[in-house]
Amino acid sequence: MSRRLHIEVFRYNPLDPESKPHMQSFYVNEYDSMTLFIALNIIRDQHDPTLQFDFCCRAGICGSCGMVINGRPGLACHTQTKDLPEHIVLHPLPVFKLIGDLSVDTGVWFRDAGTRIEAWVHNDHDSFDPTQEEARMENALANEIFELDRCVECGCCIAACGTARMRTDFLGAASIARVARFYLDPRDERNVENYYEVIGNDQGVFGCMGLLACEDVCPKHIPLQDQLGIMRRMLALHSVKGILPKALIEKLAHKGCCHENHKS
Amino acid sequence: MQIFYTDLLCIGAGLAGERVAVEAAKAGFDATCLSIVPPRRSHSSAAQGGMQAALGNCVMGEGDSPDIHFEDTVKGSDWGCDQEVARIFADTAPIVMREVAHWGVPWNRVEHGPATYYKGGKPFEAAESKEKHGLIHARAFGGTAKWRTCYTADGTGRSVLNTLDSMCLRYNVNIHDRTQAEALIHDGENCIGAIVRCLRTGELMAYFATATLIATGGYGRIYKATTNAVICDGGGQIAALDTGIVPLGNMEAIQFHPTGTVPTDILVTEGCRGDGGTLLDVNEYRFMPDYEPEKAELASRDVVSRRMQEHMAKGHGVKSPYGDHLWLDIRHLGEKHITTKLREVYDICTSFLGVNPISDLIPVRPTQHYSMGGVRTNKDGAAYGLSGLFSAGEAACWDMHGFNRLGGNSLAETVVAGRYVGKKVVEFLKGHSVDFKQSALRDAHAKIEERIKRLSGSSGKESAIVLRDEMQDIMMDYVGIFRNGKDLQTAVDKLEELHARSMNIGLQGKAIGFNPEISLALRIPGMIKLAQCTAFGALQRTESRGAHTREDHPERNDKDWLNRTLAYWKDGDSLPTLKYEDASPYFEIPPGERGYGGGKIIHADIPAEKLHVPESNASDNAASAEDTK
Amino acid sequence: MNSSTITLHAPAKTKTQGRLDVLQMISGVLLILFLWAHMLLVSSVIIGPGVMNAIAWFFEETYMAQVGGPLIGLLIFVHFLLAARKMPWKTSESEAFIKHSVMMKHRDTWMWLAQVATALIILVMAFIHMWVVLTDLPITAVKSAARIQHGGWLPFYLVLLPIAESHVGIGFYRIGVKYGVITADNRNWYKRKEYALMGGFIVIGLITLVRFMYLPLYSGM
Repeated sequence: MSRRLHIEVFRYNPLDPESKPHMQSFYVNEYDSMTLFIALNIIRDQHDPTLQFDFCCRAGICGSCGMVINGRPGLACHTQTKDLPEHIVLHPLPVFKLIGDLSVDTGVWFRDAGTRIEAWVHNDHDSFDPTQEEARMENALANEIFELDRCVECGCCIAACGTARMRTDFLGAASIARVARFYLDPRDERNVENYYEVIGNDQGVFGCMGLLACEDVCPKHIPLQDQLGIMRRMLALHSVKGILPKALIEKLAHKGCCHENHKS
Repeated sequence: MQIFYTDLLCIGAGLAGERVAVEAAKAGFDATCLSIVPPRRSHSSAAQGGMQAALGNCVMGEGDSPDIHFEDTVKGSDWGCDQEVARIFADTAPIVMREVAHWGVPWNRVEHGPATYYKGGKPFEAAESKEKHGLIHARAFGGTAKWRTCYTADGTGRSVLNTLDSMCLRYNVNIHDRTQAEALIHDGENCIGAIVRCLRTGELMAYFATATLIATGGYGRIYKATTNAVICDGGGQIAALDTGIVPLGNMEAIQFHPTGTVPTDILVTEGCRGDGGTLLDVNEYRFMPDYEPEKAELASRDVVSRRMQEHMAKGHGVKSPYGDHLWLDIRHLGEKHITTKLREVYDICTSFLGVNPISDLIPVRPTQHYSMGGVRTNKDGAAYGLSGLFSAGEAACWDMHGFNRLGGNSLAETVVAGRYVGKKVVEFLKGHSVDFKQSALRDAHAKIEERIKRLSGSSGKESAIVLRDEMQDIMMDYVGIFRNGKDLQTAVDKLEELHARSMNIGLQGKAIGFNPEISLALRIPGMIKLAQCTAFGALQRTESRGAHTREDHPERNDKDWLNRTLAYWKDGDSLPTLKYEDASPYFEIPPGERGYGGGKIIHADIPAEKLHVPESNASDNAASAEDTK
Repeated sequence: MNSSTITLHAPAKTKTQGRLDVLQMISGVLLILFLWAHMLLVSSVIIGPGVMNAIAWFFEETYMAQVGGPLIGLLIFVHFLLAARKMPWKTSESEAFIKHSVMMKHRDTWMWLAQVATALIILVMAFIHMWVVLTDLPITAVKSAARIQHGGWLPFYLVLLPIAESHVGIGFYRIGVKYGVITADNRNWYKRKEYALMGGFIVIGLITLVRFMYLPLYSGM
C-alpha cells in the first residue's frame, strides 16, 4: 500500500556562481493524507536543509506555494500525493523571477500589476463619515464581488498562460479579474473609459488569446476566463462606440455580467 | 549594509500592520511594512468567520449595542481583560466595519423577508426587516448575546486584507516583503528601528524609524498541532523580549479552537457552529447541551474546547490513527449554504480530509489557535519599556481578550486597534523627532551578525530542527488545555534545558546567499523563550481563568489572580522574570459569573472607586468613538 | 504601459488596440461564415454536378465570384495581418510557447499552436487555390473533377480541407471564449458542438472530394 515516492525537484541558487540549474531526486515514504507540503518539509528536515520553497498557511488559503507539479501549476499544500503518480516532478512557477529552487517572487510581480491597474476602489476615501450608516448594497452583488475577491494571487494562472510566457508585460488573468472586481463594485467611481486606459490594450484584455489554462489551473476555481470575456467584450465595444450602432453595443456589453442584473 | 529611513516601520503586514500603516500614510508620513511573505499571504488571510461589531442590522442582532458587545467581551475574557480597552474596542468596532465597507469590503448584506436559520441543528424562521435591507448582515458566534459577526462568506480575512492592501497601494505604503526583523534597534529608552534579514539574499539590512510597530501575529508555532501558519513563530514578540526591557503580557493565555480538523490541524471556522452546526461524539450523539444547557456549542471557545476534551477523556471520542477526535456536523445546513457561505470549509474538507461535508461528518478536535498574550501595550498601543515602540493585533497584549477571546473579536481587533493605535502613532510622529544613533544600530547589528557567524562556524552541534520538534512536543504534552503543577514544572525544566542547548546550534547544510536553515536557527532560541514564558507563567498562575485551566487549582481566584502576568527576559537568564499588574484600571462590570463554563469563583474585595468608570475616561472614550477625524 | 514606455506625461488616449481586436474578430467571423457557405455550395456536387454548375453560374453571372473572390482573398490577408500581431515570430517566443505547451499538456494551449501553424499553411494554399480557380472561370463540376482526377490536386485538397476546417472550427470556439459567450458553465457543450461541426464539415468535404474523383469527365456533353 505504502509507496516510496520519487520526488524530483528543480534546484538552482542564482546567488551561487557555482550553482547550475539541475534536477535533484529525493525519496520519501508516503503515508496517509500526505500532501506535498508534508513531503517537501520531510525533504528539508531530513535530506537537505537548504532546499528553498514557500509555504505559509498550508491550508490552500494564502497562495504561497504555487509550483509546477508534474507539468501543471498548482498549490503544493493542497495537492495530495495519493492523487499523483509515484514519480513527482516539481518546478518553480515560470514567468516569475526565481529566488531559488522552488521559490519565486510572486509578491513583487503582483504589486507591480496592482500598481499598473490601480487596484483599489477609486472614490473619495476621506469622504467617509463615521456617523452615517454604511451605503446599502444588494447581497447578491456583494457575493459576486467576493467571488472575485477570493483570488489568492498564487500566480498559477499567470504561469499557466502561454501569452504570459511569451510576453512578460502581459497582465494575466488574475490582474484582469481584479479589474473586473472593481468594475462590479459600485463604490468604485471609475467609468468604462478609465478601465479602458488601464487594460484596454494588448498587455491587458486584448492580449488574451483564450487559451483557458488560467481557468483550468485556478486552485480557487474562480471563473477567470468568464471575467476576461466580459471585460474584453465591454472594452472592445467601447472602442467602437460611434462606429457600431449604439443599441447593439448596449445590448451586447453587459450580457452575462453583473450590470445586467444590478443597475448601477 | 543597506540602511533605510522611514517614519513608521511596521513589522508585519497583516491586517493590523497594514491598517496602522495606512493611517500613518494618510496623515502624510512615510510608512514601511516588513513582511516575511507578500502581505496578502499574511495569516490574516486565513481568518474565515468574521468580525464582531454591534451594528444590530440583522433580525437576530436586533437591539444590539456596544454595551452588550462590551459585556460579552468582558465575560469572554473571564474578567482578565483591560476593561478600558475592551470599551474602546466595542465602541469603535461599528465605525471601523463601515469604514472598511467604504473602502471596498464586500460584506454580506441583509436581505429583507423571511429567512431560514439554524440553531443547534434545528431550523427556524425569522424575518429580516425591510428598513435594514442592504445593510451589513451578521452571523452568530460563540459567547455572544446577539448575532453580531460581520462576514463575507467564510473569507472575511481574505476580503478585508485585500481591501487594506489595496489601500496601502493607494497611499504608497512601502512594502518590503520577504524580510524578517531579527532585532530592535534601541538605546534603552527609545526604539528607533530594526535589524532585518532579507529572505531573498540572506543579507542584513537596517531600518531607522521614528516609530516602530510590532504586528507579527501570534506564536502558535511553539505547539506542534496548531491552526497557525508556518510563519506564526512569534518573531515580533521575540524581538521585544530580547530587549530585556519590554515585557510580554499574559503569555500563558493560549486559546485552543474547538474545531481544528484531524489530522491536518487546519481550522474550520466557528461560523460552522454559528450557522447551526453541532458537535457529535462516537455515537453521533450531540453532547454539548448536556454540559452547557444554555449555550451548547456556542459557549466561548475555552469552554467548548474543555468540554470536548472532557468528553473524549470519558471515552466518547472517535478513535483514529491520529488520536481521538469528535465530529462536527453541518450536513443539515444543506448544499447551497455549505458551498456558498461555508465554501472555504467545503474546500478544506474535500481537498485535505477527503470528506464531503454535505454528506459526511468532519473530524475535529481542539487545536492551538490564538495567543491572547503578546507585547504588552497601554491603551494607545505603546509598548511598555521603550518609547517609539508600538504593537497591535494578535502580536500585542492590548488586552481586550484577557484569558479567552471570543470568536470574531480578534479579526475585528486587528482593524479596530489598527485604526485606534494608528491615530496614536500619528500623534506620536507629529510630536517627535528622533536621534538615529549609529551606535545603537551597530550594537544591534553586531549581535545578529555574531549569531549568524556562530551558526555558520563548525562549533555548534545542535540541530535547530530537532530542538524545534522537542519544544513543540513539550508544549503539546505538558502545556495543553488541562494543566497541572507537576506537568508544568516538567515543561519548565525541559525548556530550560532546551534553552541551554539552543545556544549551541550548528548548521547542517551550507548555502551561499539565502539559506532557509539559518532562518529557523535564528528563530528557535527565541521561540523556546516564548514557550518558557508560556509554561512558566502558567506554572505560577495557580488558578483557572478562561483558557488557562489548572486541574490542581480549578477555581477562578479573583482574590489573588485578578491580574496580568508581565514576562521580562534579562540577558543571560535561563528563565523569565515575572511581574504582575492589575487586570484592569477599573471595573465597569465587576467580576462575576460568565453564565457558562461553570466553576467556582474566589471573590475579591475590589475598592469602590475602582468599580465605576472615571469621569475623565468616560468623556475621552466617547470622544474617540465619535471620532470626527 | 511600463516605465520604459511612458515617454509622455500624458499617454495619448487611443482606441486602436480595441478596434484592431474587433476587426480581427469580425474578419474571422466573416471568413468562418464564408468557408462554411463555400463548403456547402461546393458539396452540392454530391447531389449532382448540375446543381453545382447552376450555383456557380449564378455567382458568376452576378459577378459575385469575380468581385467577391479577390475580396475574400483580401479579407484573408487582413485577418492574417491582424492575427499575426499575436503570433510568436521571435524565436524566443516560439520556443517559450512550445516549451510551455509541452509542459502543460493542455489541449486548449496546444490548439492555439495548431491555429498558428494552420494559419501559415492556409495563407499559402488558399491563395494558390483561389488563383487556380479564379483564373479559370467559369467554375464547373467537370473542371474541378478534372483537377482532382488528373491534375494531381487531390493531395493538395486532402491537406487544405482538414486544415482550413479545423482552423475555422477552433477559431469559432476561441472567439466565443474570448468574448465571453463560452463560459465555465457551457464550455463543454460548446466544445462538443465545435468538434461536431468541424468533423461534419470535414466529412462533407471528403465526400465531395470522393464525388469529384468518380465524376465522369465526358458525360456525353
